[in-house]
Amino acid sequence: MNNQSISTTINGRKFTFDVYPNQTLLHFLREELGLTGTKCGCEIGECGACTVLLNGEAVNSCLVIVPQIDRKEILTVEGLAKDGKLHPLQESFMNHDAVHCGFCTPGMLMSAKALLDKNPDPEEKEIRTAISGNLCRCTGYIQIIEAVRDVANKA
Amino acid sequence: MKPFEYKAVHSIEEACSALAEYGSDAHILAGGTDLLIELRKQNIRTPKVVVDISFIKELRGIESINGTINLKPLATHTQLLQSSILHQYASLLSSAASVIGSPQIRNRGTIGGNIMNAATCADTVPPLIALGAKITLKLKSGSRQLDLSDLFIKPYQTKAKPEELLTEISFLKLSPNAKSSFIKLGRRNALAISRLSVAAILFFNEKGIITEARIVPGAALPIWRRVTEAEQIMIGEIPSTELFKTAGQKVSEVMISHTGRRWSTEYKEPVIATLVRRALEQCV
Ligand SMILES: Cc1cc2nc3c(=O)[nH]c(=O)nc-3n(C[C@H](O)[C@H](O)[C@H](O)COP(=O)(O)OP(=O)(O)OC[C@H]3O[C@@H](n4cnc5c(N)ncnc54)[C@H](O)[C@@H]3O)c2cc1C
Ligand code: FES
Ligand code: FES
Repeated sequence: MNNQSISTTINGRKFTFDVYPNQTLLHFLREELGLTGTKCGCEIGECGACTVLLNGEAVNSCLVIVPQIDRKEILTVEGLAKDGKLHPLQESFMNHDAVHCGFCTPGMLMSAKALLDKNPDPEEKEIRTAISGNLCRCTGYIQIIEAVRDVANKA
Repeated sequence: MKPFEYKAVHSIEEACSALAEYGSDAHILAGGTDLLIELRKQNIRTPKVVVDISFIKELRGIESINGTINLKPLATHTQLLQSSILHQYASLLSSAASVIGSPQIRNRGTIGGNIMNAATCADTVPPLIALGAKITLKLKSGSRQLDLSDLFIKPYQTKAKPEELLTEISFLKLSPNAKSSFIKLGRRNALAISRLSVAAILFFNEKGIITEARIVPGAALPIWRRVTEAEQIMIGEIPSTELFKTAGQKVSEVMISHTGRRWSTEYKEPVIATLVRRALEQCV
């Protein structure tokens, strides 16, 4: 198996790595970089727990192999807070009780961020669509939708 | 994931050379939403070489040239559903793209991968066959064009050689006197029986009479095709619920004549008839 040399930007920092091609981005983030905020659920693209932004778009990191991020930008949940201050979405999730067990939260936040970056004032339907690839077994989704809506309103 | 060699290619030429070199040892990677699931299965034959075409710029985009639309295979489902050209001239294809998987899957999954994977539940295939799409397959030495409807042998099996790269999907724009629709029932990974879908196009003359009809069901027949038996019933007629019901029943009959009666027929028979009727009603 051939190692691949890749350069990539992760949470705003530039890196060059030698990677094995048969590793998913999800495992690479968690095992090699210690970025365990991105969660590992189904590993077949169904649950959205592993959602990260790739060049600004929400993707399932369990369905990307590492060499595919060469010269691309990745944003994970660890990259949301800036200068010790939580991202408005993170604040809002806390205020709306949108975090119960928390397993879905990183993925939900990334899907919500992808939406708001493109569409700062989404309708409820658009919020629902944006998080339709993220499963939550605890909240019943309503608090999450309200949390996203609230950030949009304040923006 | 078992180990494999990885080769990123940056042009069509480089891709075709790599495919010619590795032959059936190679496997193409585009968005990876089908292939990654395969690669992770324990008991499959892992390809020796994965040829990653996702960096090839010339395989991206949606073009409109005069009366024709050319889709490049790396166009993602998100790009299809956001394309104003498709909204205007092939809205059934944007509808199909909009109900695929989830936003994350639509951001990565490509139309080329959807076609070449040839799963029974591939949602872009019925609309493309209804549109009369042609595809271009490229080898290191030369290329060929064929009707998309001639590509498939059976689910998950196409007539494309391992060395062939899909480089283009093209079809004529629908004229303003045509209306189209796509309806899908159920979600992927729900029971197989609930993956039924229908793509429909109706053409009308200025008196509102149907001059041409195209119906392509998904996951109902052994292989996708237009159900001309049902299409013909509608030609020369004025649209009506009765007419669409009859067409729906015909599609259902044709399905049973192909598949025989089996455990799922009791469910599929009325459901496909109803889906066809609804799809046709949306074309009015
Ligand atoms: C959770 C989930 C939900 C899904 N839901 C749906 C759904 O609702 N409807 C649906 O239709 N599909 C669905 N899919 C399947 C998949 O997302 C689509 O089929 C997608 O379009 C595949 O494209 P890709 O680029 O990811 O393909 P890849 O996985 O990269 O490739 C798929 C196959 O096509 C071949 N291939 C790709 N590009 C080319 C080319 N240019 N030339 C020759 N061969 C090529 C590859 O070798 C491979 O065999 C779903 C998948 C997941 C994981
Ligand atoms: S772990 Fe990737 S979608 Fe579930
Ligand atoms: S908070 Fe537990 S899964 Fe969503």
